[in-house]
Amino acid sequence: MIWVTWRQHRTQAAACFAIICVVAVLAVTLGLWMRTAFSDDGLPACLARSGGADCQGKIAGFVHKFTSATQLISVPLLAIPGFLGAITGPLLLGRELEQGTWRMAWSQTVPRTRWLTTKLVLVTGGLVIFGAAISALVSWYQAPLDQVSTRLQLSTYVTGGLVFTCSLLCAFGIGVLTGLLLRNTIGAMVVAYISWEIVGTPGILLSGPLHIPGPATMRLPCRDGCPGASAGSVLPATGHFGDQVLSVTRSGAQLIVSYLPAGRFWTLQFIAGGLYLLVGAAAVACAVWLLHRRTT
Amino acid sequence: MTEVQALRAEGLGKRYGHIWGLRDCTFTIPAGSVVGLVGPNGAGKTTMLALTVGLLAPTEGHVEVFGEPSRAHTAGTLARVSYLAQDHPMYGSFTVADMLHLGASMNPAWDRPLAEQRVDTLGIPLKRKIKALSGGQQAQVALTMALAKRAPLMVLDEPVASLDPIARLDFMRDIMAAAADKAITVIIASHVISELERLCDWLLVLTEGRLQLAGPIDDLRAGHRLLTVPRQTADADLPGTVIARDDSDRHSTVLVAADPPPQHPQWVVEPVSFEQLVLAYLRRRSAPDLVPAQKAAIG
Repeated sequence: MIWVTWRQHRTQAAACFAIICVVAVLAVTLGLWMRTAFSDDGLPACLARSGGADCQGKIAGFVHKFTSATQLISVPLLAIPGFLGAITGPLLLGRELEQGTWRMAWSQTVPRTRWLTTKLVLVTGGLVIFGAAISALVSWYQAPLDQVSTRLQLSTYVTGGLVFTCSLLCAFGIGVLTGLLLRNTIGAMVVAYISWEIVGTPGILLSGPLHIPGPATMRLPCRDGCPGASAGSVLPATGHFGDQVLSVTRSGAQLIVSYLPAGRFWTLQFIAGGLYLLVGAAAVACAVWLLHRRTT
Repeated sequence: MTEVQALRAEGLGKRYGHIWGLRDCTFTIPAGSVVGLVGPNGAGKTTMLALTVGLLAPTEGHVEVFGEPSRAHTAGTLARVSYLAQDHPMYGSFTVADMLHLGASMNPAWDRPLAEQRVDTLGIPLKRKIKALSGGQQAQVALTMALAKRAPLMVLDEPVASLDPIARLDFMRDIMAAAADKAITVIIASHVISELERLCDWLLVLTEGRLQLAGPIDDLRAGHRLLTVPRQTADADLPGTVIARDDSDRHSTVLVAADPPPQHPQWVVEPVSFEQLVLAYLRRRSAPDLVPAQKAAIG
């Protein structure tokens, strides 16, 4: 059964491996370049010395130079979970039903529960390895930039943590269900991808930028007559690089800063990842139940 | 040898939505039989076979294979039946070698030498993809898989439909050889009555979801007679049950189910051929409350 699963999914496995290789080459090149530039600019010493306050020009230059370069990798990766999951999911059941091969597959000496469990476990395992590898690469090359900017912006938030793998599994789960319901592989792929977007986009927005746990606020005394505090400064108004500032409003002699603290990254990742997994698992459970009901 | 029942169906029925694909089927087939399953398209043959294999669950009644209910769908049950589905579905992107590898990895009793030898004898290249094979070659690979599974019951749904006449003969010969050699039970659904006659010793006739006839062919032929009677003879005056009647100017040819054989000075009483028997039952109209059955599918 393990061999059969491998044989049926080896094309996707090869595609995943190719994607990992391409991302790895880009990530290592960019990562090394960034690390060299980071230390050549003397940023580690500056950060250690003053938290970045007295080398803002250099930091701004560094961030400016590498933000678009990293986005060249991370932005295309945004669509990968949806595409890969929506392609793999319908192949599991949808294609078997469309081509009638379920009649052959389920009349061998493997009970269909074991058949389905084996496939689900192995394909899920493969997807988890793929997702973890991509996220690890992104986190690695991103590390220097993370010290002087926030990880809570969309492209790094989605690719550099748990969300990437969880949304991939979500798309896969939806694909398994749409495959069973539509029995048309291509149609199921399209519907799965659209469903994934519908589920995912608000999910991401709510967990990240729209911040379900609610933003933190900070009141700062006005310096220099409060001329729009963070103008011209790369350091966030909170004084801490990882924070994502959402708004700064002036109230008398104080600035009210609404922001997402850097420390929320993993909390938000767990929430978003958990929601994705929940949707994916519900779709798979629904598919298993329907299959069971239709054939017994 | 004790009488083992290979297959036992009792009140077996399958409904698709509001339509009954199969209803009220009761029969028992002893082990070692070669069974022909005959019926027009949509009669419920595929449904009956899928129920036997356990791919579908019955709506009512039950079916047992060697004393075990089919729907249990455990590895033990699955090992007892090998199934060649209609249109011999296989993974098109697999090579022939891949399909045999699949058979080996999914079946503990897989007969590898048999599979490899058979494919080799047929001249089917192992490295070729299934989708690149001709329909006949695909059917042969599928049959090879069914044979190599080494199950005591083999269920074949229209296995020869895509074969040319010569390949059909060879194909049927291989099935017969396997049946005789390993003492397995075989059920073959087919439209080709002449081929079934040479092959089978048991017959099931199915029309519109109902079982019309079931039994050993010798017994069935012994229990039926073809009578030539004067045209004016009414059905009620004939012995047994009239299955088919064909009226010409002065005489009528009537197929009756009657045991012992009827005798009458004015009648010509002849034995029936296999084909006459099958065709008579296929033409026989069912009870009017039945509607044509659907093809088997999940849901």
